[in-house]
Amino acid sequence: MKRFVGMWLVIGAVLVGLVGLFAAFYALAALGAQAAVALGFPGFFGSSIVNAITLMAVTLMTVAALLTVAERKWSAAMQDRIGANRILVGGKFPLGGVPYLLADALKMLTKESTFPVARSKFLFELAPVLAFSPTFALFAVVPVGPEVRVLGQQVGMWVASPDAGLLWVFALAGLSVYGTTLAGWASNSRVGMLGAVRASAQMISYEVSLGMSLVGVMIAYKTVNLQAMAIAQGVDVIGPIPAIGLLLQPLGFLVFFTSSFAETKRAPFDLPEGESEIVGYFLEYSGMKFGLLFLAEFVEVVILGAITAAVFLGGWHPIFFEGWLKAHLDPVLFGAVCAAAFLAKVIFLTWLQLIIRWLLPRFRYDQIQALCWKLLLPGAIVNVFVTGAAVLADPSLELLAWIGVVEIVAIFGITLAVARPKGAHAGHDAGDAHGHAAHAAGH
Amino acid sequence: MGASAETVLFWIFAVPLIASAAGVVAARNPVHAAMSLVSAFFWLAGIYVLLTAHLLAFVQVIVYAGAIMVLFLFVVMLLSLTDAELGLEKLSALKWVGVVGAAGMLVLVVSALAQSGPRAMRAVGADFGTVRAVGRILFTQYLLPFEATSVLLLVAIVGAVVVAKEKI
Repeated sequence: MKRFVGMWLVIGAVLVGLVGLFAAFYALAALGAQAAVALGFPGFFGSSIVNAITLMAVTLMTVAALLTVAERKWSAAMQDRIGANRILVGGKFPLGGVPYLLADALKMLTKESTFPVARSKFLFELAPVLAFSPTFALFAVVPVGPEVRVLGQQVGMWVASPDAGLLWVFALAGLSVYGTTLAGWASNSRVGMLGAVRASAQMISYEVSLGMSLVGVMIAYKTVNLQAMAIAQGVDVIGPIPAIGLLLQPLGFLVFFTSSFAETKRAPFDLPEGESEIVGYFLEYSGMKFGLLFLAEFVEVVILGAITAAVFLGGWHPIFFEGWLKAHLDPVLFGAVCAAAFLAKVIFLTWLQLIIRWLLPRFRYDQIQALCWKLLLPGAIVNVFVTGAAVLADPSLELLAWIGVVEIVAIFGITLAVARPKGAHAGHDAGDAHGHAAHAAGH
Repeated sequence: MGASAETVLFWIFAVPLIASAAGVVAARNPVHAAMSLVSAFFWLAGIYVLLTAHLLAFVQVIVYAGAIMVLFLFVVMLLSLTDAELGLEKLSALKWVGVVGAAGMLVLVVSALAQSGPRAMRAVGADFGTVRAVGRILFTQYLLPFEATSVLLLVAIVGAVVVAKEKI
């Protein structure tokens, strides 16, 4: 009980801290805009540069770095272990394993850099950079918060808002294939090459269904700009329920989330890096070059959460009590609450990915390709036609929302229908009890 | 943005573009040549953005750098042919034909540009190059070529499946 209350207190404190953090980010962006105006440039030049630092270099990288620790802790929790807790700050406090972050960074930076003699010299060095930078740059178009007026400047919580926002996402997601492919090829190792071929075949395939799954969203919101999509998701569609992407496009959400999960190459889609068979395309990398490939994966996890939250989970809209918040809070504070809500959604989605990693068994390679071409791609194409017909018949989106409700019910129904009967879980209850006992002992 | 800033940006994109285009031709290793081409597409996209054709810039990166070149690279890497297998030795005569052709093309382009002379920049509307504007033109004025291209691509897909599968 004490632990349960403590958990909610920590979550509440984190949310309040995020609101404060984003209020500060808004103020910084406004200062940047003021500086740009003083130098004779449009204001958004300054706010974009400041946002690039605060959102991409600070927020994104902090979340991605903390994820390396979070993954260990969640893996441990899923396996009924305690996890990384050997580094004690001041000889006493494990601090949730966070100091492992510094230890990892120190290890990677100081490790001897080994490399294969027969490598392709330039491309070997280039590959980790090519794996990391497109994924990192993807975050530029993610709208973290709404546009508000701070210190006399109109500032938004995003780095760039190009007209063709989602196409930027597709373009950079397509470029990230080069990093993995070249990493395997430039190492000049057979095993690394096998990993690279698996990785690129998988990524090319899933890019198709990834692109197709978002066409429905584009039709529904009549835009490809992520900021415009976030705004469109705040409009009510059935009574007081807003037109969030999850309601209008449940099928599109499932296909998108699965496809982009496969793009991150994490379990259960981690065929390019099986420890028991081929190790992976990064086999020959050591030190910080490996660190960059490793970090790129976690940045991908955060980006996937961010794009999903922006397109399907209502963007930066807090959804609950939004009208009240907007009416009673200072506009800047409301903006900060929205941005904090967005980051909370992103953290929830990254947590979901950590859970899925341990929930599902690994696919076989032919199953990966069959899932993409025989299930996800036809599903996405059907979704495009259904969405197009529904929007044509009823441009107010209400019909599409009801179709979405039916789809959600159908998905739940199918899931329950194919679930194993209770009797098949003979060992389940005992295992659960054991888990609780272990936890109780832990307290 | 002033004209001077635009000129600076133009050279920032143009010089690496020419350098990577030269790299495609000069590189002995096919993988290096392919990567040079990818980088050329990237810098070219920057020049499209300078011309306020954002959609074209993104689409070019998606289609050429993200899809076509990946498949090129894939094939080149899997085959990893030597010069002898590629038949590069036999190409020395063809090489000179290529040089003559390229020089002729250069003369043609330069003379055409010299004849046309300097022209004033045409002002474009605020929605020039946006997804909405390009989409509207594509689905009204150029509907027939658009649909014809779709059919062409469909034929190519069916053809690829037929070639790849011995038994359908």
